[in-house]
Amino acid sequence: MKRVVITGLGAASPYGAGVVAYWKGLSAGVCTIRDLTLIETDGFRCRIGAEVSGPLAGSTRRTRADRLAIGAAGEALADAALGTRDRRGAALVVGAVGGGMLEAEAWYWRAARDTASPATLRAVLPSAHAEALASRFGLGGPRHTVVTACSSGAIALAEAAELIADGVVDVALAGGVDAITRICFMGFNTLKLLDSTPCRPFDRERRGMSIGEGAGFMVLESEARARARRARVYATLGGHGMTTDAFHVTAPDPDGDGMVRAMRAALRQADATPTEVQYANAHGTGTLQNDRIEARALARVFGEGGLLVSSSKSMIGHTMAAAGSLEAIATVLALEHGVVPPTANLATPDPEVPFDCVAHTARAVHLTCAISNSFGFGGQNVTLLFRRGSA
Amino acid sequence: MTARGDVVITGVGVVTAAVTGDSAALGAFLAAPSVQGDGALSAGAVATLVDPTEARRLSRVCQLTIGAARIALGESGLDPGIGLGLVLGTEFGDLCSTHSFADGFLARGPAGLSALLFPNTVMNTMVATTAIAVGAREMALTLNAPTVAGELAVARAAAAVAAGRVPAMLAGGVDELDPVVERELTHLGLGAERRGEGAAFVVLEPRAAARARGAIVLGEVSAAAWRALPARPWGVGRSRRSRAIGAALRAAGARPSDVGWVYASGSRDEARDRWESQVLGAALGTKTLVSSLGQLLGRHAGLGVLRVAAAAWTARSGLLPLTNGTTRVERVRPGRGLVHGLARGGAHVALVVDAA
Repeated sequence: MKRVVITGLGAASPYGAGVVAYWKGLSAGVCTIRDLTLIETDGFRCRIGAEVSGPLAGSTRRTRADRLAIGAAGEALADAALGTRDRRGAALVVGAVGGGMLEAEAWYWRAARDTASPATLRAVLPSAHAEALASRFGLGGPRHTVVTACSSGAIALAEAAELIADGVVDVALAGGVDAITRICFMGFNTLKLLDSTPCRPFDRERRGMSIGEGAGFMVLESEARARARRARVYATLGGHGMTTDAFHVTAPDPDGDGMVRAMRAALRQADATPTEVQYANAHGTGTLQNDRIEARALARVFGEGGLLVSSSKSMIGHTMAAAGSLEAIATVLALEHGVVPPTANLATPDPEVPFDCVAHTARAVHLTCAISNSFGFGGQNVTLLFRRGSA
Repeated sequence: MTARGDVVITGVGVVTAAVTGDSAALGAFLAAPSVQGDGALSAGAVATLVDPTEARRLSRVCQLTIGAARIALGESGLDPGIGLGLVLGTEFGDLCSTHSFADGFLARGPAGLSALLFPNTVMNTMVATTAIAVGAREMALTLNAPTVAGELAVARAAAAVAAGRVPAMLAGGVDELDPVVERELTHLGLGAERRGEGAAFVVLEPRAAARARGAIVLGEVSAAAWRALPARPWGVGRSRRSRAIGAALRAAGARPSDVGWVYASGSRDEARDRWESQVLGAALGTKTLVSSLGQLLGRHAGLGVLRVAAAAWTARSGLLPLTNGTTRVERVRPGRGLVHGLARGGAHVALVVDAA
């Protein structure tokens, strides 16, 4: 199997466009969760979320999610210095959930009042992003769109890594994207999973999650190809594990077995021991159940207090299909800079979470190995294990 | 991804208006194909797929999925405890539940929203419920793609088995007819396409594992590949050079002349069907017999998987149902065939299927 390295990063986050803005905000512990403006929130208990600010890439005729994806993907390709010829055979794997739902909802709402013209069905499906990106950037290799709810972005990275490891392609663009949508906002409100104040992962008083939006993309390459062209290597994607709880559609298995199996599979594939891993960028949604179960699972694999843990969702909300890839980027940048981004809004650590969750302020630590966890609705788990630089 | 080597089919499950059952039921249908009605499954047919308790909490499309998955797993006799993964292709997911969820809000505001319906608005709900129903605890993916989602699911699952990442995979596809989708497709000028609904699954596992447990091998997915041809989103391209077919044939160690027949994705979307014919002609020549079950059964993501199961049947029986204009069954060379799918937007998939 070929080794897989990361040679390009791109982000569109609630901090704005670009990886620089993303890392600056994360490492400063800035929480971007505030009153929502993109959708109507009247009548709902929770009315906040993390929206991407500033101008978006791409044409205004495209959906918001397409534009987020184009911005992040374009940055990743440019960062990796992949030219037109390099892209022709490159794979493209996109994790998506909402597709162009934000615009489709606006149409459906108007249609209910008999004022809508025909919708653009072509843009509503999650796979529309991959088509838009392939067309825009000339990506002609294997292309697919994965929908695994909140773990979609991370699964996309794992899928791309397999394509490279198996020798199907030498280079791939992969990541996740989602825009805030009414359906998502209303649904999580209905499930009473949203905190009416900015989410507080791993806090004893946590009340739920905050929704967000964004896009995160990476360029993944075989190590040999990256070396041959002297590309800048951010990190090695040493291993990954994908498992399913097969337990409940909306609740994680209380034993955390699926999570444990995903983390152990990532360690096994990377030929790493638990003690090598110094940091976990947690799924860390801020819901009562998820944080507790994830903490238990982390303790089973790494031992209580065995590594630093933090949640990027405390600052940018749960960006749904983008979460796994944006958090993978945060993990790679943590390795690159030797800085663990903090968990914002963490005032009173939950005694059932036996880890240092890096409250409020980023911490300088020399890191060589870290994981990023993502767990989706339906018990769809993935762990990505990164090593600093080209191992 | 290119799958190669000793990945066999040991179970088939099909749920459509025309045929519901395992490989034997599918074979009987393909040997004398006839279809009545519009491709929609009746309420009575759906009611037989899951027990009443499950039916109360599962959406219709989840019921179709679970029904087909159980039939396939039942035929294979595989114990999910050995480590079973799941890949499902779908074009539209559970859009009906999404409409219902939104309609609740539009009718009654926040009080009209259903917490039970919300999970179904996420496209992976069919995989999540099926994984629970059959005990699939390894990787589980939902792949979304226009036209080729089912073939893509089989190709992806075959790659996972070939690489030794998962002991066995359930690979399937599902879609249901939805009035809003049908109306919008008509607005897009695609109303002439024959569309249907249903679900289909195949069980894939390594030949050695199947042999060791005494399973009946129904066919082999000798190689699979997917690539993208240049085209605008939802557009039809001009390139005829299929890198997916080339990659799949190379991986199978086959020449174009080894392919005796093809199951293609034609479904009366004239522009796309014409493009696919040109791509197949360029790759295999124009004399290869091409069957397009979509014209008979209506296109849906399950059909892509059904065509893989049909290809295994043709490889065994030497019979190929042809549906161009009239429906007839031709005698062909048993053995190696190709399943091909090409979507608007350029996604395309090729699977080389052989007899067991």
